Amino acid sequence: MMENTENTYNRGDRRNRGNMTKMIEIRDLTRIYGDGAEVRALDGVNLDIGRGEFLAIIGPSGSGKSTLLNQIGILDTPTSGRILLDGVDITKSSEKERSRLRNRKLGFIFQYHHLLPDFNAIENVMMPLLINGVKRSKARKIASRMLEEVGLFDRMDHRPNQLSGGQNQRVAIARALVNSPEIVIGDELTGNLDSRASDAIYELLRRLNREHEQTFILVTHDEAMAAKTDRVIRIVDGQIVEDSG
Amino acid sequence: MFEMNIAIRHIRSRQRQTIFSVIAVALAVAIITISMSMLSGFTSYIVDATVENQPHVTVSPEEDEDYIYLYHGLLNYIRRQECVIAASPRYQGDCALQYQHNVEGVVLYGINPGDETKILNVEKDIVAGDFMSLTGPGNRIIMGSKLAENLEAEIGDAVTAKFPGSKPTDFTVTGIIRTGTQADETLAYANLGQVQGFYDKGDIITGIGVRVLDIYAADTLAEKIDYEAGYDATSWMEGNREILDLIDQQAGFAYIFYLLIFAISGFGIANILIMVVMDKVGEIGMLMAMGTSRRSILLIFLFEACILGMMGVIIGSVLGYVSSVMLASYTIPVPPEMYFGLDHLPFLITPKNFIIAGVFAMAINIIAGAYPARRASKMDPVEAIHEV
Repeated sequence: MMENTENTYNRGDRRNRGNMTKMIEIRDLTRIYGDGAEVRALDGVNLDIGRGEFLAIIGPSGSGKSTLLNQIGILDTPTSGRILLDGVDITKSSEKERSRLRNRKLGFIFQYHHLLPDFNAIENVMMPLLINGVKRSKARKIASRMLEEVGLFDRMDHRPNQLSGGQNQRVAIARALVNSPEIVIGDELTGNLDSRASDAIYELLRRLNREHEQTFILVTHDEAMAAKTDRVIRIVDGQIVEDSG
Repeated sequence: MFEMNIAIRHIRSRQRQTIFSVIAVALAVAIITISMSMLSGFTSYIVDATVENQPHVTVSPEEDEDYIYLYHGLLNYIRRQECVIAASPRYQGDCALQYQHNVEGVVLYGINPGDETKILNVEKDIVAGDFMSLTGPGNRIIMGSKLAENLEAEIGDAVTAKFPGSKPTDFTVTGIIRTGTQADETLAYANLGQVQGFYDKGDIITGIGVRVLDIYAADTLAEKIDYEAGYDATSWMEGNREILDLIDQQAGFAYIFYLLIFAISGFGIANILIMVVMDKVGEIGMLMAMGTSRRSILLIFLFEACILGMMGVIIGSVLGYVSSVMLASYTIPVPPEMYFGLDHLPFLITPKNFIIAGVFAMAINIIAGAYPARRASKMDPVEAIHEV
């Protein structure tokens, strides 16, 4: 029953993608590493991602999928090419502007949750808001609502070492979404979790995607999880070899 | 301010290292404030002793002259100056004093006791007799304690002053003075008129001692007298340039010593911050991913250096103050011949010393924190995030 609903949703979503406004436009993106031996991590990548999409980037280890994610996440700069985020060319942005864009437009969820160990769950979720200059009392209200959405309202005073792996990843999701970013990036976000916890996290992301209409980009090598997304982009040797969209 | 919040949490999470680095800074501040209190006490003693035991300005004869003739006009001119409290005419001459078989060379000052007590607080140094006794009938003399000891003369004894070309004159000892300086071996006071008579020079003097309201205005007054009256006027600073230079030099060496102590404590701060930065690489990467600017990352670690430094400064200042008060309450003897007649370790506790030590410590701690803070702020977020 659940699968049917999912499939119906996926089909409907695919059908509508043609009408979606472009959230990310990537043109001729190349990233070369190394001073001596040259490694072409991305090689002339072209890609459009619409607002509200829920897609997966898959590929073998070292294929360049995380590099692409780092480029979209404004954590790294390309060797050549352009990335337009909501119409803004981020490859030309200043360091300050890049920080601001990361804070306001992007949310990150990594394989390891990277929660601040000295802060409890709600303080971790509040952090992006505080960085954004939101007042403490207001940030607390928004963060507690977000924790409620991920089902951890009763764990808000727990520190990361007092929570399970799945719970920490939920807190990390709440933190990634608290600033209402337009793009949410997940890098192997269920890699450290068992299949039950992974499914729960996937369902949570799906629901949030439906409710908040944010763009979700998940990097994974889990083919089963990728198959559940609306669009699968396969990368091999720094080039897109397949795009189900 | 989230940077401060994160800085506080980092410090709290490393309590043991925090305690040790704070103790290092606190000890440095305490040692330096105690040392500064001693140095201030010593400087203050030297300045006080110098200022109290000699006129603030000494007016001497014009160039190529040995005496000041018709000095009453000059005396009135000096007394009219705004900053002058008192001026005392003096006749200073060398002579020999004999008591029984003992003979000593002395510097004999002929003074008006009323004027002299206004420019020098001589009465406080009188250990026997009375300074104003010089105003009494007959030839009277007050001499330095060491001189009296060497002559084996006591109050009431008659000593004979001798000088080539002068008639030997008897003076009755009516007082003994102890200044705590080497002058106690050669110093002798007698009435101005009697000394002038002894040297048979008439109503002339060899100098005028002046006391001023602000001791640091002595230089200006000396220059003015020099310029307007044409007499050679010397301030106490000019006259004691060597001692004051020595004090300055000593302070200079002390500051180098302070710098070294603070540098050692600064290494403690740098060490703990380097450890925090190494430990928090992933966290720094995640903060950057969340939109924290490089400037904010820099601030987080500089705040940590400031907080650790501030804790050290506060604890160290309290420790330094309490220790200084305790040490000052004991009389710690020192050899007087080595310390300008000073017989105990002096302490002067002033807020200025604590402010200097605190600012100094904070500055060094911030410099020490700058390297790890800069290192953290320059991290590549991608590398930092994946370094777990």
